[in-house]
Amino acid sequence: MKPPRNPALTDRLGIGAMLALAVLSLVILVAPSIIVLMISFDTRAFVSFPPQGFTFDWYRQVFAQDVLVEAMMNSLQVGMAVTILCVLLGVPTALVCVRGRFPGTTALSVYVLVPHMVPGIVLGVAVLFAGALVGIGPSMGLQAISITVFVLAVMVRTVQSRLQRLDASLDEAAANLGATPFQALRTITFPLLMPAIMAGAVFTFIEGFDNISVAIFTHGFRDRPLPIELLAMVQSVNTPLVAAVSGVQILLAILALVAVSFSIGLDGVND
Amino acid sequence: MMQVPVAKAEQATSAAVLRIAAVSKRFGSMTVLQDCSLSVAEGEIVTLLGPSGCGKTTLLRCIAGFWNPEEGAILIDGQDTVQTPVNRRPVGVVFQSYALFPHLTVAENIGYGLRMRGLPKTEIAARVAAALETVSLSGLGGRYPAQLSGGQQQRVAIARVLVLEPRVLLLDEPFNALDAKLRGAMQVDLRQLIKRLGMTAIFVTHDQEEALTMSDRIAVMRAGRIEQVAPPEEIFDRPATAYVADFIGSSNFWQAEAQAGRVILPDGQDLSTSLTGPVRVMSRPHNLSLQPGALGPWQGRLLFQRSVGALVEYHVTTDSGDMRVMAMRRPAARQPVEGDTVTLGVIDPGLCAVYEP
Repeated sequence: MKPPRNPALTDRLGIGAMLALAVLSLVILVAPSIIVLMISFDTRAFVSFPPQGFTFDWYRQVFAQDVLVEAMMNSLQVGMAVTILCVLLGVPTALVCVRGRFPGTTALSVYVLVPHMVPGIVLGVAVLFAGALVGIGPSMGLQAISITVFVLAVMVRTVQSRLQRLDASLDEAAANLGATPFQALRTITFPLLMPAIMAGAVFTFIEGFDNISVAIFTHGFRDRPLPIELLAMVQSVNTPLVAAVSGVQILLAILALVAVSFSIGLDGVND
Repeated sequence: MMQVPVAKAEQATSAAVLRIAAVSKRFGSMTVLQDCSLSVAEGEIVTLLGPSGCGKTTLLRCIAGFWNPEEGAILIDGQDTVQTPVNRRPVGVVFQSYALFPHLTVAENIGYGLRMRGLPKTEIAARVAAALETVSLSGLGGRYPAQLSGGQQQRVAIARVLVLEPRVLLLDEPFNALDAKLRGAMQVDLRQLIKRLGMTAIFVTHDQEEALTMSDRIAVMRAGRIEQVAPPEEIFDRPATAYVADFIGSSNFWQAEAQAGRVILPDGQDLSTSLTGPVRVMSRPHNLSLQPGALGPWQGRLLFQRSVGALVEYHVTTDSGDMRVMAMRRPAARQPVEGDTVTLGVIDPGLCAVYEP
């Protein structure tokens, strides 16, 4: 490889390009949310950009409409159910995948990923049919189950990667100091997995709250979740009310992240 | 008169805190420990020394109960522990990584074992304080492991097991995580601490200097077997096998013929042996002498020399092979230069060892 003629210049160009890309991707990530939030405060009764004026009216209307409040409550319940199911199923699965001493643990950890790789729509249809087979029709329960199947992999992977990076001798040390396997799990492994479980819980909750691709097939038709209600609204209503509903969802996601950052710190999520 | 040795032997057996009897361990088709036997007396520090893969850590893990041997027994105070669950064995392990619980404070780490035993809080607090005192960490009980230096972490790891008063202390390369500079002083400190507490300890290392500093006896391991168990001086002066001689310290080997119970050394002296036929003779570099000039039967050419403090290390090529000699520096005028003819001699034939070829 020939050394570049002017390394300082190419280096600077390279760094400049990287920075530009980083800024661009940040803008792409954040801009839609910002635009929606701006529109949600518009005083005019139609969606247009740039917005004019400033009002909280649309948010007041969101909470004044029973349909929307009910949808929000439904989504909150589904989100919580998904989170609880993912913790109950995902944490033991991750433990087995990493600590299990029998053949098939690798196969299991790959298998858990499969539903997450399948397009949500396909999974939604599959769960709908499977539910019909065992006599569970579209309902909040089936919706929670379907989204759990879809996002369980996130919980398993998050906990799994944390578990893999724990020093295996911590468990041995606990045993050597007199802890039974259960005591070691309770006093050492679980506390050290907590940041990963919390991070997994936040992501699965958000998915449970606003998933649409799977839920569109499995939700109860009388208990419509917020994203489905929003989809229906977009087709018939053209006021910033839609933007205000999105604003509520964005706010909820931010709140969840803030809660995590206060309890375990955002570094804990990366860990 | 005949009773005395018997009584002595019995005493020796009963004093053995730890007895490893013919232990073998396999992983699949690979045998990692083969017929290992070792007795450790009360208050003794025995080092398992060997290169990586020799089975020393496996043996330590078998004693701790993390793995179980397929054959043999591991007796602590005369009781076979092979069936004892890992959390009920009276052994304390200091891990290579120290394995301190990162989410617990120093005091909580040290009190962990007592808590698992369900002791009352006040007693735990008192014993933790005493343990902190023992390892000179009083006042650091509220810190987290990450806030301590490597040496302090090591002492917490030791205090954490000492507080449970184990019968045997197992230390798995406890100096690996420390700076080379710290190690020397820490080794002396640790040995003194273990001796002061009268603990029986098994210490695993691949570093022979560490082994020489720490041990009352050294067990040299090779490919799953214990080659020799002896005090450090004896391991160094009378290595039982060519492997031990080669592994500990530096050594010169050459071929010779043993006849009628004697081996003639290249300088004309002789040495008694039980072997006959072709043999290998070993001498430590400091057991060889070097004279400038052609003065005797064992002559060679000086290839290289370097000063090591007050000593000089010479590399000499001779008919018996290349030899290393360690000797005091001579006055400059009598110091040979590279390329000179020199004469070698064995200082004490009794310190040479004879092995099968």
